[in-house]
Amino acid sequence: MKRLFKPEKRLLTIVLCCIPIFLSGCWDRTEVNDLAIIAGVGLDRTDNGKIELSVQITNPKAIGGPGMSSGSGQSGQQPVIVKTGTGKTIYDARSKLQEKTSRQLFEGHNRVIIIGKSLAETGIRKHIDFFARFPIPRLRANVFFTDGKATDILKVIPSFENGESAEAARELAELKIGMNVTTKDLLQQLASSSGDTALPKITASKSKLGEGLKVNGTAIFKNNKLTGQIDDKVTRGLLWLTDAIETASVTIQPKDAEGYISFKILRSSTELIPTIKNGKWKMIVRITTEDDVTENETKLDMMDPKIVEKLEKQMEKSIDKRIQLVLDEVQTGMEADVFGFGEAFERTYPQKWKQQEDQWDKKFPEIEVVIKSDVKIRRPGRSGGPQGVPQEKEKKK
Amino acid sequence: MIEKGKISGLQMAILLYPTVVATALLILPATTGQFAKQDMWLSPIWASLFGYLAVMIAYRLHHYFPQETFVQYSEKIVGKFPGKLLGFGFLFFILHTNGMVLRDYGEFVTGNFLKQTPLIVMIMSMAFVCALAVRGGLEVIARSSQIFLPVFIVLFFLIILLLIPALNPKNMFPVMDEGITRSIRGAFVPSLWFSELFLISFLLPYLHEKEKGLKWAVVTTAFIMITLVTTNLFTLLLFGDIASSFTYPVMDAARYISIADFMQHVEAIVMAIWVTGMFIKICIFYYVVVIGTAQWLRLSDYRPIVFPIGFVLVSVSMWSASNLQELTHFTRTSWTFYAGLFLIVIPIVLLLIAKVRHKFPKKQSH
Amino acid sequence: MKWLMVLGIVVVAILMTLYEWPKINKEQKREKKAFVVLTAGSVILAVVLVYFPAMPGPTQLVDAIFKPLGKLLEQ
Repeated sequence: MKRLFKPEKRLLTIVLCCIPIFLSGCWDRTEVNDLAIIAGVGLDRTDNGKIELSVQITNPKAIGGPGMSSGSGQSGQQPVIVKTGTGKTIYDARSKLQEKTSRQLFEGHNRVIIIGKSLAETGIRKHIDFFARFPIPRLRANVFFTDGKATDILKVIPSFENGESAEAARELAELKIGMNVTTKDLLQQLASSSGDTALPKITASKSKLGEGLKVNGTAIFKNNKLTGQIDDKVTRGLLWLTDAIETASVTIQPKDAEGYISFKILRSSTELIPTIKNGKWKMIVRITTEDDVTENETKLDMMDPKIVEKLEKQMEKSIDKRIQLVLDEVQTGMEADVFGFGEAFERTYPQKWKQQEDQWDKKFPEIEVVIKSDVKIRRPGRSGGPQGVPQEKEKKK
Repeated sequence: MIEKGKISGLQMAILLYPTVVATALLILPATTGQFAKQDMWLSPIWASLFGYLAVMIAYRLHHYFPQETFVQYSEKIVGKFPGKLLGFGFLFFILHTNGMVLRDYGEFVTGNFLKQTPLIVMIMSMAFVCALAVRGGLEVIARSSQIFLPVFIVLFFLIILLLIPALNPKNMFPVMDEGITRSIRGAFVPSLWFSELFLISFLLPYLHEKEKGLKWAVVTTAFIMITLVTTNLFTLLLFGDIASSFTYPVMDAARYISIADFMQHVEAIVMAIWVTGMFIKICIFYYVVVIGTAQWLRLSDYRPIVFPIGFVLVSVSMWSASNLQELTHFTRTSWTFYAGLFLIVIPIVLLLIAKVRHKFPKKQSH
Repeated sequence: MKWLMVLGIVVVAILMTLYEWPKINKEQKREKKAFVVLTAGSVILAVVLVYFPAMPGPTQLVDAIFKPLGKLLEQ
């Protein structure tokens, strides 16, 4: 230490004292208690064509506060704050919103982007740019579509996730019950040659038991504009087709028995194999799944390989049917390529794709789709034969 | 010789690796993806050929003039006045490029992290740290990079590892559907980044084990190539066609990481990689300018001019472009030829002249 | 604001000189000359840049020379 006070080192001492000034990064000092942490963003369109931006801000008092253990909202403390602002662009709306907010808006922890119907109908491409350009938001945020106003979804206070609907929505997407689309995926799909995309549809469910969110169905976008919606059942087919199915159950009614049998899908993979023969474009969809029996209402013996074989055949048909359903609605009905058929052809036949690229819109609905599913029932579950049935009455075939 | 320090072959390799990788790491996918599309992971392989070429030229020239750097032997090869001119041009090029590198660093940090901080503060603080390292001499730079490089590599692999679950191999196909040309076009700009390896001309004279110099230079080129291929491949598998639409694709890739809901928001790692890598890169360029200027002016010590040159460097860096767009556009177009001239063409010409003179020494003495 | 920046530049230059000057040997005439010329040059350049930040610089010079070739790479 003494060395620093020697006359010849005095200058060094001064310099050393000055350096720490730069270490704090004064210009960009932000304290957590000056931030309004945004958990979810909703986008709507007002009647006069402006953007209405709603944000869900986590209420710091409600999280981790002393009242937390005895349930949130007990002292009238809202778990989240929803605010809205309108403007010409998202950023414009954001600055209007900032005027009304005493804390600095911070999107770094934004988990969901919810697009309202009014905005979806006029095209979403131009509005997604903000989320890929402004430095703070992440491309990981999940994107949803809602049939009504996005603000309403943000206002829902679900029972789980500390009453944060944005977090609840993200968890729902992660469960992969419906589609799971992040901002990155959306950007990729919009940039693809067809520009068609699909977003999971989120709705608020209100009942006597409390509020909640559910993902039911999918919104189909053609050329970045909303063209149609498909329901939950058809969405399953879409998930099969896009290899996005993860937690699913299949229930079938065997032909020669009473009651239903349910299966749980362990793993499944879908392969799109495009072929072009004599100028005819064909798509072969090869699906392989492995399932376990989870419930057996019938009197069939699940240990019998012959019965299992029959059930496998029947399940294959049931999967085929589901996929056919979505093909009918989306491929021939809405003519929107949300399955990635275009990319599949582009990857396998790059030369032929280039010649056809302009006419893909016309070509897509005419593509013949052949579904080849292969179901493998792996295990009967904890029981072999049907439970609660005397041994001799079991159906053996 | 004015540099009294000596470095080992490994240290040289450690110095060279970040010299190329640091800038390339963040913007390479954007630069190559623009031309090479889904073949962009092939581009660094072609580009690395230029790296080997630059290393070979520098090594051959070093063979003729084992104790001297580019600035010194250019005078011996083409004569005093043209040699001085070449030396000046080369130093100007390195100073200008270093200014751009420094600017790149500042733009990245202000653009992504410290949005309110003035650019000049970022640039000046980096230049100051580098000045201290350069003033310490080659050994100091080599040792600091020896400390930083493991951090750099570990963090880089951490990012890669954490990204694996989000990758989609389908994005890679079709491979080379338009033949090899697209990936070669994408290799154009990175090949000049590889050519920066010519700077070993300023390191080779200070090597302990001269015979191992070439070996380590080749090894480091190979490692650079592998790193860049990995970078491109991973951004491609994550982003597909949109990889080139980001300013800093690797940055956005890191921001995409989310593992088990808690391993997220790790982009500070990218910042750490970038800052450590850039520090070494700027140091090396800075060192080359300083030692080159000292030799050009025939000074007996390079230390007095370190700070003044740092001052010039900061000015040049502020001066080099008015915004990021201009800077990027310049590095992608004119700079490639500018760099090609000084790092490949002029050295080759010098090497040829040196070869001819070496073969017919008598003609020269008359 | 600008005079403040000029002041800053001058202060940095003075600090640099105060630090470096005593370290240069008396016999090292060349070094002293190089130091003075470089420092003076850099101060002048920096001050000029403060007042005319958009002044065409090395980038524009190089761009002008290599423009015809650079055009080849534009898409």
